[in-house]
Amino acid sequence: MVASILASGLAVGAVYALIGVTYNTMFSASRVISFTAGMLGMLGGVFGSLFTLRLGLPLVVGFLLTMACCAAVGVVTEFVAVRPVLKSLDQHLYVLSTLALSIMIQQLTATEWSTEPQRFPRLFDIGAGIFDEKFWLPIVACGVAMGALEILYRHTLVGKAFLAIAEDNFAARALGLPERNLRIASYALAGMIGAIAGFAGGELLLAFVANGSLLNFYGFVAVALGGLGNNRGAVVAGFALGIYQQAANFIVGGIFSSVAVFALFIVLLLAAPQGLFGAPTVRRV
Amino acid sequence: MDDLAVVTIGDVLVEQDKGSTKMKITRRKFAIGGAAASTFPMLGLARPAIAQSEPIRIGWLAAMTGASSAPAIGFDRGVKYAAETINAAGGVKGRKIEILTRDTQGDPTKAVNATQEMISQLKVHAIWGPTNSGESLAVTPIMARSNMPNIHPCVVTSLIDTKKYPNAFRTAPSLGQWDDAVRGYCLNVLKVKKVAVMGDTTGFGSAAANFSVEALKKDGADVVYAANIDYNQPDMMPDMLRAKNAGAEAIVVWSTSTGMDARLFNTRAAMKWDVPFVGHPSMSSGDVANLIEKRENWNKVYVVGYRSCSFDAAGKLPPRSQEFVDRMKDKVKLSDSLLWWVAGGVDAVNLIAKAIETTGTSSSDDIIKYWNSLTKYPGYFGNYTFSPDQHNGYPTEEVVMSEASSAKDGAFSLAPGYKA
Repeated sequence: MVASILASGLAVGAVYALIGVTYNTMFSASRVISFTAGMLGMLGGVFGSLFTLRLGLPLVVGFLLTMACCAAVGVVTEFVAVRPVLKSLDQHLYVLSTLALSIMIQQLTATEWSTEPQRFPRLFDIGAGIFDEKFWLPIVACGVAMGALEILYRHTLVGKAFLAIAEDNFAARALGLPERNLRIASYALAGMIGAIAGFAGGELLLAFVANGSLLNFYGFVAVALGGLGNNRGAVVAGFALGIYQQAANFIVGGIFSSVAVFALFIVLLLAAPQGLFGAPTVRRV
Repeated sequence: MDDLAVVTIGDVLVEQDKGSTKMKITRRKFAIGGAAASTFPMLGLARPAIAQSEPIRIGWLAAMTGASSAPAIGFDRGVKYAAETINAAGGVKGRKIEILTRDTQGDPTKAVNATQEMISQLKVHAIWGPTNSGESLAVTPIMARSNMPNIHPCVVTSLIDTKKYPNAFRTAPSLGQWDDAVRGYCLNVLKVKKVAVMGDTTGFGSAAANFSVEALKKDGADVVYAANIDYNQPDMMPDMLRAKNAGAEAIVVWSTSTGMDARLFNTRAAMKWDVPFVGHPSMSSGDVANLIEKRENWNKVYVVGYRSCSFDAAGKLPPRSQEFVDRMKDKVKLSDSLLWWVAGGVDAVNLIAKAIETTGTSSSDDIIKYWNSLTKYPGYFGNYTFSPDQHNGYPTEEVVMSEASSAKDGAFSLAPGYKA
């Protein structure tokens, strides 16, 4: 039982963690919590199944096309749901605009793809039981994605520019950084991270339109617990959430596991409103 | 005119002050009234003639798109086939059948709007549908208020109530009849005593699972495990392990989620457990075939089916069903739908047409009265029996269990243990 909890808990947790990082990537560039993050994860599975299974394209081509399509959706999000509300961030209009776009993406997917879950292909056909690839693949994907992000942010000029606008976009603009273009690039990057989450988790979660809302919610929990804008926090919180949820499934049953997640979420936020790894907000007086 | 009531006395129109007995008759009003009154008898004579030649308008509330569209798409093929067949033969006493379809998308609000449009604007003579219980719960009271003759295939028990909804008739089994078949198969054919019951967390899944648990207990079964499962749950191992540890000899499943069904079957295979699954027809959906890891994971899965749409041990359909399938060959596609959906659509149109043909009118009262008089009306899906006190028309003995993985042209093989 413990092995089963760990296998599926870590796998689902890795997907939550990647969606949390998707939230963070969009937030860092714009200060907007975009509720399209879960939809990008869902689209990763749907596009992956579409390209590799339905259209029969080779795995690598299907994966690259999935990344490209999700990046495009990320850019559309920036243009349609984020840019128009940036001037009034304090009114939190982005909640409405990103949620509206998220619902549109979901409805369009339901109409054009299917309302029923569809199969996602076996990618490597390695492993069985608790070592099946559907369990380890999301964990590996999460590790690789985090490693790549670390290299991007710490060792490249573009990455440092991303960090600069995340830290203080007014100062970054004053230094001549193309803030708008960097923001668009950040949303494209977020789309690609979402695509990795959906593609790597496709065998576990299937190519299913309903995954969008599920990932939106649990990805947000990972971000809130890990601290908004903190990728490492989101990863730790995502894995912890996955294991906790799966343990609750075993111990109290599926119908109560969501209640258990909610209860923990509320308790932890009461204890640490800024998240477990987030810094308290400093207010200038 | 707001404070005047118009009454007729003989051929003279009189305007009467509301709340008073004083009447005012002017020459102008007398002339208008006289003209109008003399015209009415002519209109009165003309109306039956129009009624006898106007098309028979059948409202068809169909969730043609959206999450629950598969049944409506199947029913629609039958509806169109029946209407075309009747019209090609000259109609019903010369009256053509006109199908007025509205896509409700499975949304009760849209179903309500479409129903109101059908009643007040399209002036339909009868309504077939909706095809899911959520929509039907919303529109059934509206139709009852207008005494609109209504046939539907929805399973929720409360939708049929001859006192509240004397206009509503069910041509498919109720949830209770489904549950009877499932319970009977577990206890009498599989001969198991320890049963696990799993429903999804939707309203239907919870209600059906609770109903099933109570009925199983009443019949002496030992319900060793009962659970509602979130159909999005990626891993079914926790519930399956609990059911196994509780000693379940059969698992009853009430869910419309093919994803949940397939995950249950895959998990059973991973556990190397050969417990049978018995329950909802969604477990036989073609979508399940796409989601299971191996074809054999679908073995020992038995779903609610119908004798009229089941192959016997020799692989043959009942003669009347075979004749129906042969007649539809090359006209109606069955390979991606279910035979009972298509047959149910044909039966609905035929029941309305037959009522109008037999009574000679398309008045609501006459149609309802005709349906109330039916005993073993020979439909293609089943032989329907209605009475003023019983509007569940589908015969319980026709509800059987089928092998989930045996679909061929929309029909299934009878589950092991049934005689042909």
